[in-house]
Amino acid sequence: MERPLTVLRVSLHHPTPGSATFAYVPPQVEHDASPLLVGRGPDAHLRLQLPRLSRQHLSLEPYLEKGGARLAFSLKVLSRKGSVWVNGMTLRFLEQVPLGAINRVAFSGVQMVVRIEGGTSLEAFVCCFHLSPSPLIYRLRAEETDERESVPQEQPPPGSGQGAPDHLGFLHSPLQPSPGGAPEIPLQREPLDGALS
Amino acid sequence: MSSFEDVDTEETVTSLHMTLYHPGHQRSGIFQSIKFCNRETLPTSEVVKFGRNSSTCRYTFQDKQVSRVQFSLQLFKKFDSSVVSFEIKNMSKKTNLLVDDKELSYLNKMDLPDKCLIRFGDYQFLVEKEDGESLEFFEIQFFLSIRPLLQENKWLPQKPTPECGSCSPCSTQNNSPMEAGENEW
Repeated sequence: MERPLTVLRVSLHHPTPGSATFAYVPPQVEHDASPLLVGRGPDAHLRLQLPRLSRQHLSLEPYLEKGGARLAFSLKVLSRKGSVWVNGMTLRFLEQVPLGAINRVAFSGVQMVVRIEGGTSLEAFVCCFHLSPSPLIYRLRAEETDERESVPQEQPPPGSGQGAPDHLGFLHSPLQPSPGGAPEIPLQREPLDGALS
Repeated sequence: MSSFEDVDTEETVTSLHMTLYHPGHQRSGIFQSIKFCNRETLPTSEVVKFGRNSSTCRYTFQDKQVSRVQFSLQLFKKFDSSVVSFEIKNMSKKTNLLVDDKELSYLNKMDLPDKCLIRFGDYQFLVEKEDGESLEFFEIQFFLSIRPLLQENKWLPQKPTPECGSCSPCSTQNNSPMEAGENEW
């Protein structure tokens, strides 16, 4: 009996209009239980054309939690030079973090939102890619941080195309929570360093 | 100015020593693909696979009872740590993997303790890690044990007797090959 595949709905945005960054991104790809590589190189399963991107920049690795029945995913940084911002944390080479139901990722000017819709198959999973013309990651709301009174003016991820203050919005994500009702990972205030430029 | 003074500062590398045991290894040649005592340097980004399939696995065992990919090891760096750690993942749908007393099913993974015993089927692997500074490379070295590494359900950190006649010295980390008697521990 075939089991439904886990689906990763991946939205991608790059601020440069009309760029060839996503020229090699297919609408959908089915991948086995090995890590999915994201990068500039020909071996990358999600291949992005950006000079500043490492050939292997990051991986999305499926695994099973002990006692779990659905695939979980962890994101690992494979770039020695760059870093990756994930749900408020800046990760560097060889650092990794488990992903939740909805995840905001930024690297080398790329904004990526990954939504995981769990299936029961352990053989493979599917990535569905959507290219977004508008930015995906906005500035955090003050009440979503611990510092209600003195929130430093935090810039959005560089390269997000939001130069003017009136474009800085609260975190009203254009995405809806996943139907499974899995909790969204609370975002932490972390400096958005050069990893996002 | 001499080149010694100019070259980049050397970094120590993380070393993984794996002592392998299988009761039938001499009879069946299951470890014939493994270069014992040979220090091999690998990039830290590599996912090191162990299994029967030589196309996908870096280290293979000539045994049809071994899965095509049995398990994998990969390095990662914990936050706020300067050293790398290993993670082990069971890649076999048929055989569970035991890491000390913890059992991993298919696609389960866990941090690998610095010293531990990995078991699947009749295979026993004693794994010992030495920390190093380098984030670029790590070393792996295999030794063969002619004695079981697990005795009476509790594994004993015996010093194995390396079987690698061509290399000299070929020893464990303490550089003194010793044959552990059965009653020494």
